[in-house]
Amino acid sequence: MTDATQNTGAVAPKSSLHTLDARTKRRNAAESRFKLYGMVAIGIGLLMLVTLLTTILSKGTGAFTQTFVTMEVDLLESKLDKSGERDLEKIKKVTTFGYAPLIKSAFEKTVKTHGMETDLKSKTMAKILSKSAASQLRNYVIANPDQIGQTIEFRFLANSRVDGYMKGRVTRDSIANDKNITPAQLDFVDQLIEVGALTKTFNIDFIIGADASDQRPEAAGIGVAMMGSLFMMLVVLALALPIGVAASIYLEEFAPKNWITDIIEVNISNLAAVPSIVFGILGLAVFINYMHLPQSAPLVGGLVLTLMTLPTIIISTRAALKAVPPSIRDAALGVGASKMQAVFHHVLPLAAPGILTGTIIGLAQALGETAPLLLIGMIGFIASNMPETVGEGLLSPNSAMPAQIYEWAKRADPAFYERAWGGIIILLIFLISMNTLAVLLRRRFERRW
Amino acid sequence: MYDTAKLGTDVIQTTTKISARNVQVYYGDTHAIKNVNVDIEAKSVTAFIGPSGCGKSTFLRCINRMNDTIDVCRVEGDINIDGEDIYDKRVDPVQLRAKVGMVFQKPNPFPKSIYDNIAYGPRIHGLAKNKSDLDEIVEKSLRRGAIWNEVKDRLHAPGTGLSGGQQQRLCIARAIATEPEVLLMDEPCSALDPIATAQVEELIDELRDQFSVVIVTHSMQQAARVSQKTAFFHLGNLVEYGDTSQIFTNPTDERTESYITGRIG
Repeated sequence: MTDATQNTGAVAPKSSLHTLDARTKRRNAAESRFKLYGMVAIGIGLLMLVTLLTTILSKGTGAFTQTFVTMEVDLLESKLDKSGERDLEKIKKVTTFGYAPLIKSAFEKTVKTHGMETDLKSKTMAKILSKSAASQLRNYVIANPDQIGQTIEFRFLANSRVDGYMKGRVTRDSIANDKNITPAQLDFVDQLIEVGALTKTFNIDFIIGADASDQRPEAAGIGVAMMGSLFMMLVVLALALPIGVAASIYLEEFAPKNWITDIIEVNISNLAAVPSIVFGILGLAVFINYMHLPQSAPLVGGLVLTLMTLPTIIISTRAALKAVPPSIRDAALGVGASKMQAVFHHVLPLAAPGILTGTIIGLAQALGETAPLLLIGMIGFIASNMPETVGEGLLSPNSAMPAQIYEWAKRADPAFYERAWGGIIILLIFLISMNTLAVLLRRRFERRW
Repeated sequence: MYDTAKLGTDVIQTTTKISARNVQVYYGDTHAIKNVNVDIEAKSVTAFIGPSGCGKSTFLRCINRMNDTIDVCRVEGDINIDGEDIYDKRVDPVQLRAKVGMVFQKPNPFPKSIYDNIAYGPRIHGLAKNKSDLDEIVEKSLRRGAIWNEVKDRLHAPGTGLSGGQQQRLCIARAIATEPEVLLMDEPCSALDPIATAQVEELIDELRDQFSVVIVTHSMQQAARVSQKTAFFHLGNLVEYGDTSQIFTNPTDERTESYITGRIG
């Protein structure tokens, strides 16, 4: 120590700050390695997310467009209303078979007006349409009997093979063994495209429509399943939120801390980890077999999902209540508020953003749940379209979005596969918007205090 | 700063407001307060001093039964306010706390507007018949809390936006808005800077003509400045209780002397 002061500057320092010693080098290397691992991990995660999204989008967007054939149809009085009385009962007696000739002649007319050359018979031409074309025509005539005798322009769904051809799913090679369509029909489709009679446009029916039978994938929509999901979410919200919040407030603020509450607490956490299919079989046993609630009904689905969502809501609500500083409770009690006033006037408003977030995330979870719905039969096939199903409500059979997607994915026709992906896009849009709403609400309310 | 000559005269006129007899407090198996007997006088400031963990805050929280909120806490003995046992079965702690207000160590305004902070107590106790009554109570309380001039233009701004000292005076104003008779203060200045502390101390001195103030403090200087009576707690015992001037100048107990001279604590 004294040496250093004697000859200042001449003493070589033990180590220079400008060169790193071995230990520092090792430490720095370890740190950079760790950062690298982290970045690789995040990179892999992002890559998978991007792959997932691009797969879903590339496979699913096709479901939102559909191929239509536009044709003028002569609604011949001689075929539809032989008596000429416009008596609705008599018009209704003409079945869809009676409408098939109208479609055939519409094709013949189209070929003639556009001067197309084809060897196909009109019956074969008509096969490029969906099987629902005749019933579409019939429904129109029954709704507008005064139009009989007129020539009306109609937009018919093309069948799923033609639709697949437009979307590149079906090619001339792939249909070698397909008895539903022939290369000659595809040639005819090409001619129709050329004259503008066959077009691919946005298909609102996929979003608002009902499911369709195995034979008509081109007509299937997810709208009714969406209504089923909506009804279930209403049930979940109406039951899980009040029950969950009341239970958590009691447990967190009022319940004595003893072994009973400890057991309850542990079991709530356990319930959160119970596989959803267990809740499904419980719902089947209790709500349907024991309480005799109707099968496949959104009410039962909602009850099962409520059971599943409750632990999530209770856990997040308790966390939100715990996060409110105890000084706020002291302050309220100190001015002579009762415990309940302290909780409801001060603690609950502060915990509300957390509760809301937990509830929305619980709902989003419930919205995407499939397994319990399969067990209670919420894969009902609902053929009726939007306006009728909206009113059907909680007790009539319905489906739900994820169950509908599952249903489509397991059907044989590849056209349904595309619809399953499209359904996933819609489901994801719902989930993402719910989660965004949760984040926005939390931000908004948190700013206020 | 304060008129010390006034001290003596005030104390003589006062009567006993709170009397504690053989008070024992247990936290589970821990015996936190041992056999405390004390008579606290009305319209005066009584200071509880003592080293950390000596039980002074615990005893303070017995006076408005805030300890009821702690599950493991058990209180034995009698505490009377105006001759009524506050641990009687018929006493509702909520009603008691309206009569015995409390100010906490850390300023804890509600995350609401300044106005709502003050108006909350009167509202839940139904002290105001209408809006103008309530306005009046708010103004009066803020004036008595010596913070009116600073906040009168922003009554609807959040109370949490005030400075620490202002927040603590807001909390005092909130506590006196319900017209309590006793005001308990648990180290009200420990989170404040010296200037804010001086303001709060000045306020405490003014509050003395309307309330019986009991203040827990770590600072012996503060006790000497604001209180007329001082109680010294040590290891759960009330070691000495008497006039502030006597405690600080001529303590009878050895432990008190050690503490105020800085040898223990």
